Amino acid sequence: MTSVGDAAVATDVLPALEAIDIAKSFDGVHALKGVSFSVQPGEIHALLGENGAGKSTLIKVVTGLYAPDSGQIRREGEDVVFANVRAAHKAGIVALYQELSIVPTTSVAENVLLGEQLPSRAGIVNGRALRRQAREQLDRLNQKISMRKLAGDLSPVQQTMVAVARALATDARVLILDEPTASLTDTEIREVFTVLRSLRDEGVAIVYVSHRLEEVFELCDRLTIMRNGETITTKDVADTTIGEVISTMVGRNADSLYPERGKTSTEVTLVVEGLDGRRVTDVSFTAHKGEVLGIGGLAGSGRSELLRILAGAQASKAGTITVGGQVIPRRAGVGRVLAAGVALVPEERRSQGVLLGSSIQDNIALANISSVSRLGWVSRGRIARIAERGMADLQIKARSPRQPVGELSGGNQQKVVLAKMLARRPQVLLMDEPTRGIDVGTKAEIYRLIRELAATGTTVIAVSSELPELIGMCDRILIMHEGSIAGDVPAEGADDELLLSYAYGRSTS
Amino acid sequence: MTVQKEPTRTGTIMAQQSRTAGRVLIQSGTVVALILLIIFFFAMRPDTFLSFVNIRNILYQISILAIIAGAQTIVMVLGDFDLSVGATSSLAGAVTSVMLLDENSMPVAIGAGLAVGILVGLVNGVLIAYLNLSAFVATLATMTSVIGLAYLVTGGTTVFGMPAEFNALGQGRFLNVPLPVYFAVGISIIIWALLRFTTLGRRLHAIGGNVEVARLSGVNVRWARLLAFTMAGFVSAIGGILLAARLGSAAAEQGGDNTLFSVAAVFLGMTVIRSGAANLGGTMIGVGIIGVMSNGLNILGVNAYVQQVVTGLIIILAVVLSGLKTRER
Repeated sequence: MTSVGDAAVATDVLPALEAIDIAKSFDGVHALKGVSFSVQPGEIHALLGENGAGKSTLIKVVTGLYAPDSGQIRREGEDVVFANVRAAHKAGIVALYQELSIVPTTSVAENVLLGEQLPSRAGIVNGRALRRQAREQLDRLNQKISMRKLAGDLSPVQQTMVAVARALATDARVLILDEPTASLTDTEIREVFTVLRSLRDEGVAIVYVSHRLEEVFELCDRLTIMRNGETITTKDVADTTIGEVISTMVGRNADSLYPERGKTSTEVTLVVEGLDGRRVTDVSFTAHKGEVLGIGGLAGSGRSELLRILAGAQASKAGTITVGGQVIPRRAGVGRVLAAGVALVPEERRSQGVLLGSSIQDNIALANISSVSRLGWVSRGRIARIAERGMADLQIKARSPRQPVGELSGGNQQKVVLAKMLARRPQVLLMDEPTRGIDVGTKAEIYRLIRELAATGTTVIAVSSELPELIGMCDRILIMHEGSIAGDVPAEGADDELLLSYAYGRSTS
Repeated sequence: MTVQKEPTRTGTIMAQQSRTAGRVLIQSGTVVALILLIIFFFAMRPDTFLSFVNIRNILYQISILAIIAGAQTIVMVLGDFDLSVGATSSLAGAVTSVMLLDENSMPVAIGAGLAVGILVGLVNGVLIAYLNLSAFVATLATMTSVIGLAYLVTGGTTVFGMPAEFNALGQGRFLNVPLPVYFAVGISIIIWALLRFTTLGRRLHAIGGNVEVARLSGVNVRWARLLAFTMAGFVSAIGGILLAARLGSAAAEQGGDNTLFSVAAVFLGMTVIRSGAANLGGTMIGVGIIGVMSNGLNILGVNAYVQQVVTGLIIILAVVLSGLKTRER
């Protein structure tokens, strides 16, 4: 996948954006310690690093959200100081974050021109001119989207496009994208890449932040790696490898991201027969004690829905689910399914997994209310014990069990969700995208943890969009296509092509 | 602010440790507002405002609102609200009074009033939890119907002449302090403990934090919501019955004012704690502000309509003050 940007980066012109020796600390804690970073016009430049390496702080400094303690920002060679985000916008620097990029309840056209002077007379918006101006921006991206549609009704990729179009409407010359592909499918990602490449060719400088290294190697021209608030190195993508990047990011050799597979017992823990429900048709399979079973397939193939039905979060229309010989009644609900030994770590951590405003211990206690209480009264001591155990077992990095989960990094938040569910000692642990938006170091920890759980006899069923992850992490892989299971292959020795052909519903010889 | 939180986290840690006196002042804007109000009225009327008799008066005046606001706190912890609390309290008071006039015994009459409260709460709960109506629509609708019922029960007049032992519940004193004050304190403590120490309280807080997270953690969201609204109806009924006893009479809309004041009190209370969730301690501070305002302005001889204007302004001021802390973060 190591195709290089064909256009060599022009280093003889002034950088579109340059950060020189930026330092920023928060009450004595150094988030950035002398970071230097520059991006040329007509370049896609990856900014890499684990969570907490300082990428987001750096972005916030160059977009005027934070004032640096020292250091200099230059825009095409000129010193600039941004008092706020608006000032950075005016200078052509725009950052798009993974969420919050659109206003779902207004039209596409209004979203594209959000924050701009809308064409109007006497305060009444000229709808036709509005749509024309918005269409011009989307045309630059080669997007055919109805201007009248509500932005919330668009697919994730179209929403991303609208957000990019909005940045272009403000005449962005430096576009900073933070995990733009996190919720997109492979085809959609291609589409985004095509757009980004054409913007690059127009001379826009693009800073691309992502945890998906394969994408970085496919799309970007150069990359800069950050670690502990410092920039470690900047390289041409052609001159490095994924393995080298990973070891630079974590500061150690990380050749084995995935632990060794264990032995799967022949004892069956989960039997699913003829399961029907929304987006799931006639699914049957079994999972064994100590097995790590992967579920792949394209987005929308029913992967997540299958997990949700298994977890009791979504109703099934037909079929039976048997866990450890015990049939789970239909419409049992999450509570009773949990009690029967099936726990779900959901896909969207922040909106489904954790209460961001609550403490670590309260989050862990939430799924364990009956074991931390007696006769309806909650025991603070038991909550503290269960939380301390979970934090120790999963090595959750926090200053105390009382720290709000919203203050933790993505990886640690994910560990809180895991700790919450593992305290139930489930027979079957369902995980939907277990490592989404998590840095490489924590990913490796999660994989190791999954293996340890399997070794103690837990059945782990994990949905993932990343084929290398499925192959590396699992014992066996089910591939779903349009709600049904299209393939069932051992993970060892599975190759991308075969899995993809199942995912696209093509039968193979 | 949806990107990785690491740097911001360290920022917050330090900010918490080095919190200065000034910041505490801003953070607890609502508490400060209450203290300033007390100081102001004390300065204006040093001989009367902080006298035992006047403090007792204030407590007596706010005791019913405190109970209704307690009911409101339960549902606002869920992230919902209940516009029918005032109407429910009126209906419960009316039912109890009318039954007493029909020479039913006290336990029967009071039991019937409480049952009416539970019933209205149940209806709210079913509409909201099981039929998925928004709390606004559902409780607005039940409020309207319940006021109508209250008029039907009272025949559109003010009923009075209940037995003295009933009126004593609202007018009697123990240790020279009116009984409703004891009721308010007792009920507040029970609600506080319920929200803080019970599994139901945990579940309600979780639902208020994020319904989906609560559901996926195994919380039976519908059941918890049904219980919360039912309890709110029950507690409102207690308030309404005590109000009827205190006034010695029952009229269809005598509890109506308490609905909006209860929401205001909970809002004020939400500004007191960092997480911004409804909490009973805060609610009581909110009730205190409303009570001190109204009593103080009365003592100063301020026109009742002006009082209403000023009360609204004070609420805005307190919320703005504590909004400053959110902007800091």
